[in-house]
This record gives sequence, structure tokens and C-alpha cells, in this order.
Amino acid sequence: MSNHSCIEIANEWGIVSARQAGRELSKEIGFGSVDQARITTAISELARNIYLYTEIGKIDLEEISDNHKNGKVRGIKVVASDKGPGIENLRDVMIDGFTTSGGLGAGLPGVKRLMDEFDIESIPGEGTTITTIKWLR
Amino acid sequence: MRSIVLQHMIDNKDHYIEQWRVSFGELLFSRSESTIKPQYIQDEMKEEFVSVIFDTLTMDRHSRRAVVKRFAERLIHDGWVVSEFIMSLQRLRRIVMKDLSNHYDKEKFVDLSGELEDWLDEQITDLTTEFAKNHEEVKAIQNVALKELSAPLIPVFDKIVVMPLIGTIDTKRASQIMENLLDGIIEHRAQVVLIDITGVPLVDTMVAHHIIRASEAVRLVGAECLLVGIRPEIAQTIVNLGIDLGNFTTKSTLKKGVEAALQMTHRDIITNEEPVTGGGLN
Amino acid sequence: MRIPILKLGRYLLISVQVELDDQTALQFQEDLLNKIHQEGSLGVVIDLTSVDMIDSFIAKVIGDVVEMSSLMGAKVVLTGIQPAVAITLIDMGVSLQEVQTALDLEQGLERLQQELGG
Ligand SMILES: Nc1ncnc2c1ncn2[C@@H]1O[C@H](COP(=O)(O)OP(=O)(O)OP(=O)(O)O)[C@@H](O)[C@H]1O
Ligand SMILES: [Mg+2]
Repeated sequence: MSNHSCIEIANEWGIVSARQAGRELSKEIGFGSVDQARITTAISELARNIYLYTEIGKIDLEEISDNHKNGKVRGIKVVASDKGPGIENLRDVMIDGFTTSGGLGAGLPGVKRLMDEFDIESIPGEGTTITTIKWLR
Repeated sequence: MRSIVLQHMIDNKDHYIEQWRVSFGELLFSRSESTIKPQYIQDEMKEEFVSVIFDTLTMDRHSRRAVVKRFAERLIHDGWVVSEFIMSLQRLRRIVMKDLSNHYDKEKFVDLSGELEDWLDEQITDLTTEFAKNHEEVKAIQNVALKELSAPLIPVFDKIVVMPLIGTIDTKRASQIMENLLDGIIEHRAQVVLIDITGVPLVDTMVAHHIIRASEAVRLVGAECLLVGIRPEIAQTIVNLGIDLGNFTTKSTLKKGVEAALQMTHRDIITNEEPVTGGGLN
Repeated sequence: MRIPILKLGRYLLISVQVELDDQTALQFQEDLLNKIHQEGSLGVVIDLTSVDMIDSFIAKVIGDVVEMSSLMGAKVVLTGIQPAVAITLIDMGVSLQEVQTALDLEQGLERLQQELGG
């Protein structure tokens, strides 16, 4: 049975709910304390971006598994999606320090480093979907 | 009720032991791991094996297992080859089977050989299970030891710890080292960590990057890093590669590092005028 | 939710025990600066032992608080940052370079005393 939850991000309380759900699920999957902090932080970054730059969006959390050469590996998949303004220049936002809001600009490049897989799809005017995965090693 | 086979073996114990001993020669201790052991120890082991197998015939399953378990532990501890013992048990089977077929008619023999198989299976299972279990345990201990060995943290003075790095540092090891380092700092309430890279054969940009990351994390949890053991060729590569260790306090030797660390924690090594009891540290 | 700020002589002590949502973090920033002003505090220890996550937003708030306090003449020491949190911050590329740290409240106070001379 797969473990799945979806948190709506409409205000800043959504950010807290999303990262709490993320911590719980990652603990359940068996991640160590350092990876739990990484996953929770990544979720917080994605949720905050939705809160800051769009009207509404959601974070989907899911336990996944994959067949690796050394047997089955479990992991957590985090999908952040919104129907906001989209991101004009995908290359810029992945540069450390790039921000349009006076933040540290560490968010997206940070998430990429915290997680194992990172994929971003964005259509200006239509929305953004960011999919990231962390595998349990 | 004890099975007929076991009773039969108990009744003919001396006979079987005699026969079994004869066939030991070619089976037990044929592998080099065993033959290097002195003859008298080999003989002792044979006798113990005989008694483990035959003395347990009168015991219940539970006590029998305890004896076999202890024996298996000893085999592993002293480095005997377990397969040799199992092979020789198979040999015992042949001896008893042959004897049974001489004593009983065909129908009875089929029943009894089944009983014999059960008994033998039990012995072999217990022996190998113990062995496997023990082997797993040893492996688990080795893994933990290896993990700690790859990044040990040594408290040298109050508030000062040393982490000697030995061997190549790849990304996986680097993150393990970092976790050990930070947990150790908290555990020992350390204020200064000396990272000793004397044993690191090569410092390239990647290794330097890991060390810099580690020192930044150390600072965040509330301690400071000193990099020590910088050999001349390492200093050369660091500069030639343009690696910036500007924020780093570095020392050529561990000794100088410890002196600096003592200073950083507001302490000093003083030499007493005359030898007195008690440390020279304040 | 408000984070309590304790006064200890010329120092202020804060132990963050709640989940740091954005509002709480910003409220804390404001409360701390007011308190420094009110008390004329010279040093501040912020203990983060119970904080299990610091994202870039909270890191920015903390970094700002340190800078603002120092503008007002108060030295800030952060204490008790957990290993997992420290590693995550480093992964994020946030190293809080300008910020002073210590292992725990006790060592944090010691550090302030050393630097401020008693
Ligand atoms: N979901 C989104 N929709 C539209 N634009 C986005 C979205 N997420 C990020 N962006 C844009 O990408 C930029 C970079 O995001 P990033 O999270 O890396 O930094 P930041 O949010 O500006 O600062 P920090 O996260 O460090 O506080 C943002 O400034 C914003 O312009
Ligand atoms: Mg952001």
C-alpha cells in the first residue's frame, strides 16, 4: 500500500503543515535524522515559494519504491504544483543567490542539493510543477 | 519417549565412536586452516566433537541445542572449518545406516532411517544456524567498527578532540565523517576539533570542498576546526589548485595544532620547576 | 505564538521551543529588538536546541536579527544548532558566516562573558 498525502498551500500555515507531514512520512519510511531534516527543509522551501509567488498550490507527498541493482529501494517523492505565474527564466532561478523577493535565493538550488532527483516544469502564465525524490540509502 | 534410533546409538555408542574415529582421519582437518593447528589440539577437538554428538543423545532438544550452540561458538572463535564437521557427520550417518540395515528388516529400516535423518538434520541445522548467526553478528560488529575506524574521534583534552582522517575521501565517506564529527562534538562538548589530514594521500578540490563544508558545519554547531598535518606536497597542491582555505586555521603538525587549541580554549601547557604530582595543565 | 525572552543581567536569553513558522519568527525579531532597546542589553544568546529545521527563510530572519542586534550594540550568540540542521544549512549553501555560535546555553554565556569582559 502506498503512503500518500496532499497538503494545500493557501497561506503560511500550509507551509508548517506540509513540512510536518514531510517529517512524519520520512521518519516512517526510515530516513535518518539528517535526511529527515533535508527532506523537511526542501518541502518548506517549495511550500514557501508557492505561498510567496502564487495564489494557491499544493504539495503531494508519497512513499515510492524502485528496483535497484541491490534490491528494492524506498524513497519519498515530493511534488509541488501550482497554477501561478510560472517561472520565466528557469536557468536563472537555479543560480545560488538569485531572488526576486529579497530572500537568500538559496531555495531552489538548495532543494536540488538536498534531494537526489530534481525536476522542474514551468509554463509562464500557467503554472509550475517541481518534482523531487530522495532515496533511502 | 526416546526414538529407537537414538536408543540404538546409545546402546552401541562405543562401537560407533570407534568406527567414526577411524573415518575422521580423512575428513576432519584436511583443510589448511585446520592442519596448521598443532596435532594435540586437533585431537582434542575431535574428542570434543565426539562427546558433543554422543553425550547429547540422552538430552532433550533444548539442552542439546545449548551444547551444540556452545560448540559452534568455539569453532568460530578458534577458526575451525565448520564444513569439515558437517561432512564428518554425514560419514557417521553412513556408519549408523549400514549397521541399522544389518539389524532390522527392510520395513523397520525405512522407518528408522527416517528417524536418523531427522536427528542428523537437527544437528546440522543447529550447527550451521549458530554458525550463520555468529557470522552475521561478527559482520555487523565489523561494519560498525569499520565505520568508526574510518572516522574516529579522539578526545585529547577537555573540550578538544582530534579526528585523524586516513585514506581516500569520497563523497559517501565525507558525509559519514561529517555526521560522526558533529555527533562527537556534541557528545564530548568539544570546542575545538583538530582535523588531521596527515593520512590523506591526496587533497584535490573535491576533498578540500568536503573539508571546508565540514568546518562550516562544525562552526554552526558551536565549535571550531583546526586543520593539521599539512605536508609540504599537500600545501603545494592546495595553492596550485587555487583552493582557498583562507578562513581556516591550519598547522603543519598535530602538536602545534594541540598547542593552538589549548590557547583557543584559554589554557596553556606549563613546565613545572620541579617534578610534582598532578598535571601541568591549568 | 510568542517566543519568551528572558533577561539575565545585561544579557537576554531565548530558548526557541516552538515550531518556527514565519509569523512567529518575524514576531520574535521585533520583540527581541524592542527588548534590547528597552533593557540596553549587551549580549543575546538564542538557543536552538529544540529546532529541528531551519529553511532559507528562517535562516534569513536569524541572520537579519543578528545584524540588527549588532547595530543596536548587542552581540548575539546562537547555541544548540543540531548536527542535522547544520548539515542541511551547509547543503543549502547557507553558512551564516557572520554569526557567532556555541555548543549550548552555558557555553554561549561564557562566550559572551569572554568577549564583553565579564
Ligand atoms: N512556484 C513558483 N512560481 C513562480 N515563481 C517562482 C516559484 N518558485 C520560485 N519562483 C521564482 O524563483 C526565484 C528563486 O526562488 P528561490 O526559492 O530559489 O529563492 P527565493 O524564494 O527568492 O529566496 P529564498 O528561497 O532563499 O528565501 C524566486 O525569487 C521567484 O521569482
Ligand atoms: Mg524560496
